[in-house]
Amino acid sequence: MAFLEINNISKSFGKVEVVKDFKLQVERGEFVSFLGPSGCGKTTTLRIVAGFEPPSSGRIVVNGEDITNKPPNQRDVGMVFQAYALFPNMTVAGNIGFGLQVAKKSSAEIKKRVAEMLELIHMSDFGGRYPYQLSGGQQQRVALARALALSPQVLLLDEPLSALDAKIRVALRSEIRSIQRKLGITAVYVTHDQEEALSLSDRVVVMHNGEIEQVGTPFEIYNFPQTAFVANFVGTLNAVSAEVIDPASHTLRVEGMNIQAAQGLDGKQRGDKVMLAIRPERLSFESEGKKANLLDCTIENITFLGSIVRVQVLIGDSRLDMDTFNNPFLELPKIGDKVKITCSREAVLILNH
Amino acid sequence: MSVLARLRKIPFWSWVWFILGVLYFILPLYATLDFSLRMQRDTLGFRSYEKAFADPQFIKTFTYSITLAIATIIASIILIVPTAYWIRLRLPEARRIVEFITLLPFVIPAIILVFGLIRVYSAPFKIPFTDVVLLQSLTTFKFGTNILVVAGYMVLGLPYMYRSVDTGMRTVDVRTLTEAAQSLGANWLTIIVRVILPNLRAALLSGALLTFAIVVGEVVLASFLGVPAFGPYLFLLGQHRAYEPAALSFVTFLLTWVAMGIIQLVTGGQGQAAGAH
Ligand SMILES: Nc1ncnc2c1ncn2[C@@H]1O[C@H](COP(=O)(O)OP(=O)(O)OP(=O)(O)O)[C@@H](O)[C@H]1O
Ligand SMILES: [Mg+2]
Repeated sequence: MAFLEINNISKSFGKVEVVKDFKLQVERGEFVSFLGPSGCGKTTTLRIVAGFEPPSSGRIVVNGEDITNKPPNQRDVGMVFQAYALFPNMTVAGNIGFGLQVAKKSSAEIKKRVAEMLELIHMSDFGGRYPYQLSGGQQQRVALARALALSPQVLLLDEPLSALDAKIRVALRSEIRSIQRKLGITAVYVTHDQEEALSLSDRVVVMHNGEIEQVGTPFEIYNFPQTAFVANFVGTLNAVSAEVIDPASHTLRVEGMNIQAAQGLDGKQRGDKVMLAIRPERLSFESEGKKANLLDCTIENITFLGSIVRVQVLIGDSRLDMDTFNNPFLELPKIGDKVKITCSREAVLILNH
Repeated sequence: MSVLARLRKIPFWSWVWFILGVLYFILPLYATLDFSLRMQRDTLGFRSYEKAFADPQFIKTFTYSITLAIATIIASIILIVPTAYWIRLRLPEARRIVEFITLLPFVIPAIILVFGLIRVYSAPFKIPFTDVVLLQSLTTFKFGTNILVVAGYMVLGLPYMYRSVDTGMRTVDVRTLTEAAQSLGANWLTIIVRVILPNLRAALLSGALLTFAIVVGEVVLASFLGVPAFGPYLFLLGQHRAYEPAALSFVTFLLTWVAMGIIQLVTGGQGQAAGAH
């Protein structure tokens, strides 16, 4: 049995169902992200776990206990908000100690715990400051410490970094992860930033229109997206339509050229239309017949992106992006050149829908 | 940049309007002050102030009005803070209608309010179709009348009080703060006492001071309900005397300005704090 169970949660506001039959099992100490576009129901699901919204149906179970009907202040679930939500009238120490005070801990104990927490977020000298005297990143670290001070069973974070600028976002993201690892706390993290989700999480839940599209490790989500939505939302991707030629040998036809996939074509028949996806970095210029698939194309555009170079090619009427590493000793073709590009069979993904 | 350099950057016409505005407010005040100081022929002095303060009626009505003001402020806070809080938290769709209601006192003259109060509460309130009296006629005894006056003043102060409380709640985002406190184990009482009220201090103070200013100067409600308040006293005085009302008006002005100064001090400090992000 998993530590946090989200069992068949649905939620409607009026007639609109914004979360549909959400099922997820989170193990103790696991870091799980909800990833999806704006309005897909990430926050709503998180708020149901926190107890701020009742689900229309379904149960929330933590550590074997059904907490679906418990009010939020009895759930033992910590929460970090996008807008920090520090109490403006209290100092940093007051904020971190608030939960302990509410729990009627002794003042010696509170003092000790607050000091520990300040140490954890590397802000030991800031205990006496007020929130308005801190930068956004510091405020969010205090909010994290405040949520962790009570050692909650589950830590929920709703886009905690999206109000910060890019540099601090990256720094704080690894800090959050290392603190989570150190404490071994079970965490659910909401974000619409795929890079954040992929770099932080043990598992990513990709959501779309209130439904789970795919659950998997960042590796699985990126390399083996199962739906067109996931493939498009996570990373950049070339999607092209293809026709099944021979299901037995996994052969398909794209713009008049044959291409082979490693993945099976179960249930498909000759003549069926399918969608193929190939990541830009899996395509490369032809080199001494190493790879299975060879495609004729015309160079349409070349963009220099620093460590990589993005090449746009036309195959028939389909436009594909191809990323190659920037190598100063290798000459790139010119726009308008006719070249052959190639990819392995494993790089050809067949999308379910 | 020095203050002077900053002042120079302000365009010419802004200065003109600013000075005209200041004159518009200051001149009458200055005239009142000047007049109030001339009770004795050809000398400036505080004679009129001494006389005004010496009148036992002044002390009586002034303390009465201050007491009413304090009662009104407390009752308004008890009514409005939970209402505005609940609307922010759970009933955002009720916001527009409540805002409309709080603006009614601007549209409906106080005279209508007072006649309404008298009509409804001068007869004892009975259970329909029986002779069982639920509530004595409020206008027939002192305490009952005081209740009516305070209730009326609450209505008059409603636009100011509700608006400052609601704005205060918006600036500190009470909803998220409430949720943060809840997730840390706090119950409703703790949340209101330790999180909401302390962060509304400035808003409550400004609402309270505006209410105070309204109650102390109010005439219509007080005279029609026949209570010994400061407003009607000043009005009567104005009909019989020349210098004392000027003196008292000036004092009232001064009080209001001091009140405004306190608001500025408290909220201004907070504004700076918020700007420091
Ligand atoms: N209290 C509410 N009443 C009515 N509709 C709501 C309410 N809260 C959320 N919704 C709707 O539910 C849907 C999902 O909202 P939610 O906040 O969960 O999205 P999200 O995935 O967190 O998006 P974002 O990335 O923008 O934060 C949205 O269409 C939103 O309009
Ligand atoms: Mg959200």
